[in-house]
Amino acid sequence: MPPLEKPQLQNKPFKLRKSFATRRQEVAGIRAKFPNKIPVIIERFDREKFLPPLDKTKFLVPHELSMTQFITIIRNRMALLPTQAFYLLVNNSGLSSMSLTMAQVYKDHQDEDGFLYMTYASQEMFGR
Amino acid sequence: MDAATLTYDTLRFGEFEDFPDTSEPVWILGKEYNALTEKDDILSDVTSRLWFTYRKNFPPIGGTGPTSDTGWGCMLRCGQMILGEALLCRHLGRNWRWNRDEKQREEYISILNAFIDKKDSYYSIHQIAQMGVGEGKPIGQWYGPNTVAQVLKKLAVFDTWSRLVVHVAMDNTVVIEEIKRLCMPWLDAAEACGDAEAGGDLNGCLEGACAMAEEETALWRPLVLLIPLRLGLSDINEAYIETLKQCFMLPQSLGVIGGKPNSAHYFIGYVGEELIYLDPHTTQPAVDPCEDSQVPDETYHCQHPPCRMHICELDPSIAAGFFCRTEDEFDDWCMRIRRLSCRRGGLPMFELVDSQPCHMVSVDVLNLTPDFSDSDRLERFFDSEDEEFEILSL
Repeated sequence: MPPLEKPQLQNKPFKLRKSFATRRQEVAGIRAKFPNKIPVIIERFDREKFLPPLDKTKFLVPHELSMTQFITIIRNRMALLPTQAFYLLVNNSGLSSMSLTMAQVYKDHQDEDGFLYMTYASQEMFGR
Repeated sequence: MDAATLTYDTLRFGEFEDFPDTSEPVWILGKEYNALTEKDDILSDVTSRLWFTYRKNFPPIGGTGPTSDTGWGCMLRCGQMILGEALLCRHLGRNWRWNRDEKQREEYISILNAFIDKKDSYYSIHQIAQMGVGEGKPIGQWYGPNTVAQVLKKLAVFDTWSRLVVHVAMDNTVVIEEIKRLCMPWLDAAEACGDAEAGGDLNGCLEGACAMAEEETALWRPLVLLIPLRLGLSDINEAYIETLKQCFMLPQSLGVIGGKPNSAHYFIGYVGEELIYLDPHTTQPAVDPCEDSQVPDETYHCQHPPCRMHICELDPSIAAGFFCRTEDEFDDWCMRIRRLSCRRGGLPMFELVDSQPCHMVSVDVLNLTPDFSDSDRLERFFDSEDEEFEILSL
């Protein structure tokens, strides 16, 4: 069973829940405490119908973790079958190469507030 | 005569816009055409593709289910079209052309029979809909490109005539080693034999494996590679547009299944900023094969100019398809993909890697360790030192 215990209380995207200054401060604080980890925000696409919500939004990820490893962790966490479609889009736009490390993705795509934003989604269905 | 038949038979050059007169190159499934001088060739190529549409009055799916797929089956039909194209390439070659009045070749009749709307055709709507139940899709539910790809992969196993390997590359990654092992399963058997001989310990069981390997030797199983992707959230990310176009320029192209939001199409090429597609959204009456297994095949070919739409209208959920009949063709495909990803302009839609990254395997192994309960296992990745952040460790 996927770990769905905690319902998502806030539906608004993280960026809209907190001001830029707050987010920036938060990153500064956590980076000071964990200099070897990257702060990542993972959110479900607001129109996603098939993948379960994650009970956490904020993750601290080791620099050397690869995208493949990261996706495997998230996939396992949702108890997805290997044949189920799962895509992690960086900055709501592109798929990242799976062989890149989190540090490489962070370098190219970090937000001005210091977080790395990712959105997950499966595939749309067609029928009409 | 119903509206659909009317559209098809009598209005075909009234309702459909003629193919544009443009000097821009036209690409159809890996072939380049000039619209000004080769329009007949373009139309003949398009018409030769198998066109699967909604049908009505077929035998009920599962004995008591629907007798028509209007309103739900368009992605299943697109799956049939992309696999139909693979079978044409496999048995007749990419240059084969359909001529309505010519006597049809035996291979062609067999291909068409694999898609007839009845329960025992290899890739009928009946088979696809019923196999989808195992993918969590009850009969009559809408499919995505990945759903139909997964179903086709399962159905192809039973098609011993075509001997296809249908591989669905997940997580936008194509692993070369994985594909070679699938298409040359005798390699593994040969390795096993080699090991046994080295040890001087050849038992009857392994001899059997070697015998089988010999029979299959040097026979690359023809590969249908399907790559389900998501090229954006609501809209396609424009950085993918050039890469998407390049897919249709590869000689191994089987086109792309996808659509506009809600409506599935089978994309076979592009011209300028427009995608060229076959549309399953016409309901035609089901066709019964005649007694000599000949199929009246006129309604299985699109005889009007193909539909077109602007690339930006494309829903970001797609699956790209490629066909490699031989190992050389697959190696050539890999080389072309690598060359494309080195070029500037356009974001690669998927990544090509030599082998499964070993760290991926190690993460898997760790997670499959049976000694830990789910929560224990998660804690190894998510030590909750901070109240709000989840901390991942290697």
